[in-house]
Amino acid sequence: MADPAQGVLQRSVENDAIQKTGRRRWRPQWTARMALIPAMTITIVCFYGFIIWTFVISLTRSRLLPVYKFTGFDQYVRLFANERWWTSMQNLAIHGFLFIGGCMVFGYLLAILIDRRVKAEGMYRTIFMLPLSMSFIVTGVIWQWVMNPGLGLQEAVRALGWDSFEFNWIVRPDRAIYTLAIAGIWQQVGLCMALFLAGLRNIDPNIWKASRVDGIPVWRVYLHIITPMLRTVFFTVFILMSAIVMKAFDLVVALTGGGPGFSSDLPARFVVDHILNRQELGLGAAGAFVLLCTVIAVISPYIYFELKKERGGRGH
Amino acid sequence: MKKFSTAAVCAAFLSVGVSAGAIHAQTAEVLHWWTSGSEQAALAEVRKAFEAKGGTWVDTPIAGGSNARAAAVNRMLGGDPAAVFQFSIGQQLRELADQGLLANVGKVADEENWDEKLPPLIVKAAKYDGNYIAAPINIHGENWMFYNKAVLEDAGIDVPTSWDDFIAAAEKLKAAGVTPIGLGGQPWQERIMFNSVLLGVGGREFYADLYSTLDDDLLESDTMHQVFETFAALKPFVDESSPGRNWNEATNMVIKGDAAFQFMGDWAKGEIIAAGIEPGTTVGCAFAPAVDTAYIMTVDAFAFSAMDGEDATPAQEKMAQVMLEPDVQIAFNMKKGSIPARLDVPSDSFDSCAQTAIKTLQDKKTHLVSTGLFGVPSAVSGAIDDSISNFWNSADMSPKEGQEQFHEAISYAK
Repeated sequence: MADPAQGVLQRSVENDAIQKTGRRRWRPQWTARMALIPAMTITIVCFYGFIIWTFVISLTRSRLLPVYKFTGFDQYVRLFANERWWTSMQNLAIHGFLFIGGCMVFGYLLAILIDRRVKAEGMYRTIFMLPLSMSFIVTGVIWQWVMNPGLGLQEAVRALGWDSFEFNWIVRPDRAIYTLAIAGIWQQVGLCMALFLAGLRNIDPNIWKASRVDGIPVWRVYLHIITPMLRTVFFTVFILMSAIVMKAFDLVVALTGGGPGFSSDLPARFVVDHILNRQELGLGAAGAFVLLCTVIAVISPYIYFELKKERGGRGH
Repeated sequence: MKKFSTAAVCAAFLSVGVSAGAIHAQTAEVLHWWTSGSEQAALAEVRKAFEAKGGTWVDTPIAGGSNARAAAVNRMLGGDPAAVFQFSIGQQLRELADQGLLANVGKVADEENWDEKLPPLIVKAAKYDGNYIAAPINIHGENWMFYNKAVLEDAGIDVPTSWDDFIAAAEKLKAAGVTPIGLGGQPWQERIMFNSVLLGVGGREFYADLYSTLDDDLLESDTMHQVFETFAALKPFVDESSPGRNWNEATNMVIKGDAAFQFMGDWAKGEIIAAGIEPGTTVGCAFAPAVDTAYIMTVDAFAFSAMDGEDATPAQEKMAQVMLEPDVQIAFNMKKGSIPARLDVPSDSFDSCAQTAIKTLQDKKTHLVSTGLFGVPSAVSGAIDDSISNFWNSADMSPKEGQEQFHEAISYAK
């Protein structure tokens, strides 16, 4: 699976190399290239190599072991006829939208609140960051208990006397997918807050002074001045969170197990399940490859657009 | 194969403490996924017997069936196989045999006459090219119905013997405020219940024909439609928190009397024993309602890696022999909650549920196989689980639609 963060990282390494060679023109460029060889080898073999291998396997009838008897695009035909696959792709879209959107919105709001110089800022920061120290598995288990209708929140509120209270999303096939976003946002919002807060603290205080002189209301300063200035932070958060969405596997395993039925399944779980549990190596590989293509199709225009803009900006 | 070995070698490096090629005559490394208390106690009986015969047992437990299976395969491909490894018998194992990765224990099997002593369906699944590639150690049954006797008595109902009776009884229980069915809403548990309904409504011949042929006519038949209707009729008898619940939690609902029935394999007896109850006393066991008597079997088995060549090493042969020894079969299975794979082992020391099972299996017509482990190819097995679970959890799907998507899922998977 493509890890977009990798690309960003690589680019900055390249930039560093260019900057170095630029400063010391006498040093031949090949030393920099030599230094990159290990990283490049790993990237080429482990990354592109295995992508190609996955594609090759997806063209075979492999079950438990890889066999190289090619059957054309049979596995893709089977994949696209599979209702569970479509459910999981649809879920990926829903989860991705809610999770990334939710993390950004809530993370940014929290950062702004803390940036307004609240008392005991350190305490709030710690509280919001704390869930991040837990793995997705632990997060999933905690929320599974909280959202279990016979055990968690619903039961607790009913015990207090509000008998008609309902919060049973986790057992409802049409709602289970939203519980993933709730648990996911709860865990990751702290990280987003920290990134946004760092961005906010980097804003030149003079901007605030100027806006105060002009008498602009605070919310407008945030909306029309600060937010556009934080474009790169938004970009970073987006990339980080998309990577988490694409590889979301452990959260769904721990929280809903893909259920009820397969109503909250995600593609990564579909792929792992078929390769490891069902001995459907070929079908799993086809799923992985389609997932990769989808990710590239969705994310690359955005990355391309942002990077182009950034480079263009630096040129001036 | 070669390309795959890179990953396999990495996996081999991770398995610390195992030196490649260090195979002494009587040492056998045993890779398995039995990590829970009762499972370990059961396996310890085999180990004791193996060591008493002069063997050295190297224990490699790996939690989780699929993890353990993956590790066993990776180690084999990486050239550092575990001599004996737990695996499901059936098509996947044959695929390993196709690649020449397995040794056969045909010599021991001939000496001990396994062909006569094991159920024929298991014999078929454990053989490749006429030779045994695995030693089946036990039989679990999947069409059990556990029930809380006190709850049934309070509601004034008898143990139902047909699905119509069951539905009538469940209505009564529900009216009395008891959850009729304690169900763990995970696909495999829903499938166990479905297969009990299938067997109960269609009968054992229909079950056997359906899963051995996966025939389109059978899948489209009226009998199948009736099966889906009966299964759908059970939906209201499950409590709200069912989805995602583990099987042992559901068993505890029955033990405590919160639920009246559970459809589960006989490993549920382990939970019942752990609660201090002798199975068959306050928590009763019966076969799920059915038109005729049958036993849906699933099997735990150990396979043997090819160490050098196709023939098993002396340690592997000794292991195979020990595993099917009558005394070991009794000691092991009493702790595991299953029944012996050998049908000629005396049954008197087992609990009443196991005795019923052993007696039932004396009639070969009752032998059926589970779709979970070795009844059908694993791709089909997965498709069955998916479509059953989808049907069970979709409130607005009609039995007809359920039947159609079941049919479709199977035809794409086979």
